[in-house]
Amino acid sequence: MCAASGPPSRFSRKFWPFGDRGATGCHNNGINFYNFYASINQKLARGAEILYGDEEASLLPPARPCPLRVPRIGLYAGSGTSHSWLWFVDLFDRMFFHDVVFLDEDMVKNGVLKNLDVFAMSGGDTIRIAEGLGAEGAYELERFIGEGGLYVGSCAGAYLPLKSSKQHLDRFNFVDIKIANISKTAPTVKQLGRKATTAYGCDYVYHPVREEVRLRSTEKGPFSGVGSFLAPLYGGPSMVTGNASEIMAQYDAFTKKTLFLVDETLAEKTLIGNVAAVRSELGNGVLYLFGPHFEHPHFPIANHLVANAIFWDMKKSSVGGTSGMSEIVLDGAAKRKLVRDIKREISNARIVSVGLEAASVRWTIGCKIYEPEKIRVFLEAIWKRLGRLEQSPRIQISNQTLEEMTPSACEVTRILREVKSRIDDRLETQGIAPHLFDSLRRLTMFCLQTYFNSLLLDN
Amino acid sequence: MRIDVDALKCIGCMACEMACGYHRDDAFALLASCIVVYRAREKKDYFGVVIKEEESLTIARPEGLEIKRIGVAEEPGSTGQKKEADASAKPMLLREPCDLCDGMKYGPMCVKICPVNAISLVEGGE
Amino acid sequence: MDYLSSNKILIVNLESGEITEDELDDELVSHRIGGVGITSSLYETYKDKDPIVLGTGLLTGSLFPGSALGIISAKSAKTGEVAHSPLTLKAGMELKYTGFDYVVVLGKAVKPVFLWLHDGVADIQDASEIWGSDVWKASDHIRRSMGDDLIQTLVVGPAAESGSELAQVCINYWGSGDCWGFGKSFGEKNLKAIALRGMGLLEISEPEDFVDQCFELFEKIKKGSFMGKTGIQDIFSAMGENDATEWILPLVHRNSACYNTPYATNTFLYLSEDPKTLTEPDEPEPGFLVTDPCALLGFKRAGLSAKDAGSVMKACAKYGINPLAVAEFCVKSGEKDPENIEKSLKDLEGPVSVPDCGRFSYWAPGKPLFSNFDASDTSEYGAWWKRRQAVAYIFGIHPIFANMAPELSEELMLEMVNKGTGLELNQDILDKVIEDVCS
Ligand code: SF4
Ligand code: SF4
Repeated sequence: MCAASGPPSRFSRKFWPFGDRGATGCHNNGINFYNFYASINQKLARGAEILYGDEEASLLPPARPCPLRVPRIGLYAGSGTSHSWLWFVDLFDRMFFHDVVFLDEDMVKNGVLKNLDVFAMSGGDTIRIAEGLGAEGAYELERFIGEGGLYVGSCAGAYLPLKSSKQHLDRFNFVDIKIANISKTAPTVKQLGRKATTAYGCDYVYHPVREEVRLRSTEKGPFSGVGSFLAPLYGGPSMVTGNASEIMAQYDAFTKKTLFLVDETLAEKTLIGNVAAVRSELGNGVLYLFGPHFEHPHFPIANHLVANAIFWDMKKSSVGGTSGMSEIVLDGAAKRKLVRDIKREISNARIVSVGLEAASVRWTIGCKIYEPEKIRVFLEAIWKRLGRLEQSPRIQISNQTLEEMTPSACEVTRILREVKSRIDDRLETQGIAPHLFDSLRRLTMFCLQTYFNSLLLDN
Repeated sequence: MRIDVDALKCIGCMACEMACGYHRDDAFALLASCIVVYRAREKKDYFGVVIKEEESLTIARPEGLEIKRIGVAEEPGSTGQKKEADASAKPMLLREPCDLCDGMKYGPMCVKICPVNAISLVEGGE
Repeated sequence: MDYLSSNKILIVNLESGEITEDELDDELVSHRIGGVGITSSLYETYKDKDPIVLGTGLLTGSLFPGSALGIISAKSAKTGEVAHSPLTLKAGMELKYTGFDYVVVLGKAVKPVFLWLHDGVADIQDASEIWGSDVWKASDHIRRSMGDDLIQTLVVGPAAESGSELAQVCINYWGSGDCWGFGKSFGEKNLKAIALRGMGLLEISEPEDFVDQCFELFEKIKKGSFMGKTGIQDIFSAMGENDATEWILPLVHRNSACYNTPYATNTFLYLSEDPKTLTEPDEPEPGFLVTDPCALLGFKRAGLSAKDAGSVMKACAKYGINPLAVAEFCVKSGEKDPENIEKSLKDLEGPVSVPDCGRFSYWAPGKPLFSNFDASDTSEYGAWWKRRQAVAYIFGIHPIFANMAPELSEELMLEMVNKGTGLELNQDILDKVIEDVCS
């Protein structure tokens, strides 16, 4: 079984993120990456000393012998993010990177980054993300990286620090890398209209393909020894790098599962041979920018590279301290009640969301499209982890989360029921959709933060 | 090859849905099956079967079969909500598409279990 | 219990609001198997607190043919004795997947409530908004307010609230096999409904063997004597009531089956739409789903037209009253006018006949259907019928279907339960449980 934890009993294994029946897709040439990282992180968490080059860390590429440690990771889930940060959650959960702090824009602005080794950002609406973080957020991020922090960004998280003159984004010009999939005129789109192009100032960013693509590693540093591998592209960049950056992987080929949104020749011209993953230094820190979603749970080699990059380039010295939130430990009846209250509401919400599964509505939030099925993606991410919270004798939770988690869960159920009822009555729901997804995002942050905190406690 | 359903023969027993659920989960559960009995209009006795395939939804209604390509444009609905062609329109997104019970020794399980032979395997596909 | 079970017995005290859970002990299952074996044992345990016990069989919700049955066990308002009534349609299956194998409801709520069971969570919810409303409105309200059309509801109507001994616990909008007046018990507890929705998963001890055998059985059953027959109309023929078949056929819209039941035991009559309509009708409530062949036959015997019989059965379901009892009153009084019958529902009282059927619902026709079972006593509601019902209620098999499928032998059910659970139950244990629940 993958990693140390399999699907909870009495839970559809198909919705356990770590592959069917717990194991499919974990292996590559007989190597189970998830077990490998899980084992290292478990040992490190128990205080073991492991160095690069040690036998038990043999999957990590050879490097100067330096001690490994469990990184403290900030995962960005603030305004403008889509659901794809949940893929990072799966990766961290599976590989036992359990010291995770879920961040929104206010936390970034309030200086939480100084207590972190790694900052991870997945997909979403780049402009909204940049707008949410604002000048203060940009400053904090730049300072974090400059002081030795590691930035791992995929898709929107990769676009954010690229060179741009566009409003909001112009505060994040951290690296001298440009977007290759940009054009003065909108290309002719074969299918999927809105997914294919986005206005970008006077230009257009276009997305030639979606779904699976084949990449080729340049075999540098943490990317050595993998050759070619697969990852999914959902609107992430193809990049043109300057001299200061190291190319880690290039777009190599399309596969049977690649979906072409523009003419194949244009797709090939835009992607093949161009940069898919890059490593760039800024001050004492490093940025890894991935066009495709390396963190997607169905792509073990790409996941392995994310983990490898973290160990390779995370802050050299321990950040110490805490995330800055005051935490309490709940056990006994108080813990049981809290978990039960959450379970009740997640179940209520999930029941409505399954009923909405085939509803033919969708909502536009910013420049992204959301459909009812995405609701379930958030809820399942919580639901499948509740069993663990139920079984744990105690949980660790911040005061703020303790106060807000149950009301926030009730609110999600309430809005969902309103959405369902309005859909039944053929009334519009666009007006409440942003509130629904915002509430869902916050609730998911609360629940998953509690989950990871409690895993740390158990470790 | 694909699965075809004669909704008029169907008696709404859900055996197909549970068989498909077993194929997905090795246990009894309904949440992951890609064949689903549509039974929300109970008071009207209006029921049928929906099958999620790789790129389409087969909707077997009593009045006939409809195959809807996932992501293909629809007219704006009466709610005024725009329904444009988009890859994000993936009904039953979290369910895996029908794989004709690949890897199961029984062949397509829903076909085998349907007590009234309402389901069949037909030529054609995506 | 790790397999074919959620491993939970729920105890709900409506008076105190206290909700507790017990594990379903392997030991209990080894002695009482399940279904009515365990509901009756739980009834005994909590007898002093006037319990209503809900439960499912080990095969309920599985791929075993006919595995639709849930059970209500409680004291009958009619007989004063513990009795059992079937939960069919999709309610038995849904109960199984709520995460509770058994539910014991104790005490009387201070104000009207409904019990909401979902994904291993039990909530006592305020029902003051639906207290006083008919079964259909109450079901609609629950589904709408909880935001899901697939919630299965066990609901009572005004009959239960007024304390009628003829009150029935209905399923969603339809009549059920509750001929024991369990509706009254719900009403006395201020319990308007139990709403069920579960998206759980049942593990199987030997999944491949279990499913192999289910498929084999389906193959056999597909060659069985009832194949090609369908609906209440053909049940009438099997009961020797051929003219009832002719009587009802012009109104038949479609026939439908309870969960995983190969025979469609339910028939939908279109009363205000053309039964040949295939598209979704505009009319929101065009007809009625008949789940109770004996009651429909009762109205025929009372001299009603098929359409009037359908309308009266719909009115009975809305009011939450046992239609079989109403038919008996109609036969006695000679009343044939549907409006008058409807108006009289609230005043109906007095004894109705109960056949010598033991503790099982006489909603299931009293003889084998379509098939010849190899039994010496197949007299109406006789020894064969009682044993067959006991077995169906123990394992979770549709009680009407059980009477038409000799392929589902006791031996086979035991074997399947053993494959599914990893337990080693045998015929001696089964005989003991049957004897106990039939006594
Ligand atoms: S063939 Fe198999 S996978 Fe396809 S719908 Fe039927 S049971 Fe499901
Ligand atoms: S098994 Fe056949 S009859 Fe039953 S629901 Fe599926 S298609 Fe309908």
